[in-house]
Amino acid sequence: MSNIIELINAAGLTGRGGAAFPSAIKIKAAKENKARLIVNVCDGEIGAAKDGWVVANHLNELLEGVALITSGHAKPIFAAHRDSTTARLLAAAGLKVLEVPHRYVSSEETSLISLAHGGTARPMTKKAPFVFGGQRSDGKRIRPTVVLNAESVWRVSQISRRGVDWFRSYGTDAEPGPRLVAVGGFVSTPSIIEAAAGIPLMDLINLAGGLDPSVRFVGVGGLGGILLTADEARSAIWDTPTMKSYGGGLGPGIITVWDPRQAAAHTAGAMIAYGAGESAGQCGPCMFGLPALSADWNAFAMHPGADSHRRLQNRLTLFERRGACAHPDGVSRFATSALRVLGPELLQSQPYFAGGNQPTEVLSYV
Amino acid sequence: MSNARAVESELARIGIDRVLCTGHGICARTLPEAVALDEWGYPILATDAVPPADAKLAVKLCPARALFLR
Repeated sequence: MSNIIELINAAGLTGRGGAAFPSAIKIKAAKENKARLIVNVCDGEIGAAKDGWVVANHLNELLEGVALITSGHAKPIFAAHRDSTTARLLAAAGLKVLEVPHRYVSSEETSLISLAHGGTARPMTKKAPFVFGGQRSDGKRIRPTVVLNAESVWRVSQISRRGVDWFRSYGTDAEPGPRLVAVGGFVSTPSIIEAAAGIPLMDLINLAGGLDPSVRFVGVGGLGGILLTADEARSAIWDTPTMKSYGGGLGPGIITVWDPRQAAAHTAGAMIAYGAGESAGQCGPCMFGLPALSADWNAFAMHPGADSHRRLQNRLTLFERRGACAHPDGVSRFATSALRVLGPELLQSQPYFAGGNQPTEVLSYV
Repeated sequence: MSNARAVESELARIGIDRVLCTGHGICARTLPEAVALDEWGYPILATDAVPPADAKLAVKLCPARALFLR
């Protein structure tokens, strides 16, 4: 259709927000439908920081990418969390900012589209991609709108400036191009790293200060991601096939080294509880299912045994594609992965309430 | 195998608007082969491919207008 779409297609750019959908297909549909562009700069996943970094450091190239994608037919919108540094930077540059409330699912693609149409920042049922336009469940018409992650848009301008060969000189044949990764948690130098698929995961962690010998677990992809043991992290390759073998993907580029001073089962439980509280409260399987998952996780962590284990495992089968958005899928993916990693050792441990610390006799004080 | 595929192609595909669904559970009655209910009465789809006549009736009878044909 146009030269830029052929370039993006040849480069093999995929969305850097986590879904890894081919950008050329999305941008072609956006152009054909004169879709309004929303650039997602929310960094909504736990531990995410890269999209704000793109705005802070490469705003001109980001805007060049926007111009290549929209061909100037509709004023683009930049979605950033309310009162964030990123929102201030965008507003100071004279750009149209969509101020997004500080809720986990608010920065989900269809939440942003709903918010941009005057609705609440809650996910919408997606019968077909909103790049074609559509309807919210209450009947409100939604104009053709496309949401692209800020890093993805920045990469479009880089591909245009530097060419397909430059882009493909990074990464693997299947997952080409540079990609940003935020490495944080229990590291000495939390960092945003220009990386690429196919390198050892440890190279990324080492750039952020390395893995302390006391570290036992490493998270990949935040609350919608997975958990690895430190040994797995030491041998893992940062690419989709490897992450898929552990139940995840590259996600939105987040690596979180877990603090070894905190009980991992508690950290995981806190994340699942947070995820339950962040349900938008629209879809039954999410608004009732995630609190039940959280309760089942806590029951297993405190009373590890065959029954609580089975109940948790059964619960985890009830989330696949049962919400308007993928929030329940993401939290259950994380819980499934955390159970894989933490379950065996919990099952071997002393039950939380069955130690020797319970009162056994009555003493008289008076 | 080719017969099975021919039959498959004659089936209608259903979807659920999860925002609209309020767990009446009528679809589990109209499409017992395809729909089970969770402990709160929300549908679990074993398959989204069902006989067209059944699908039409189920869509018509969904009180929340959540069930739709793809």
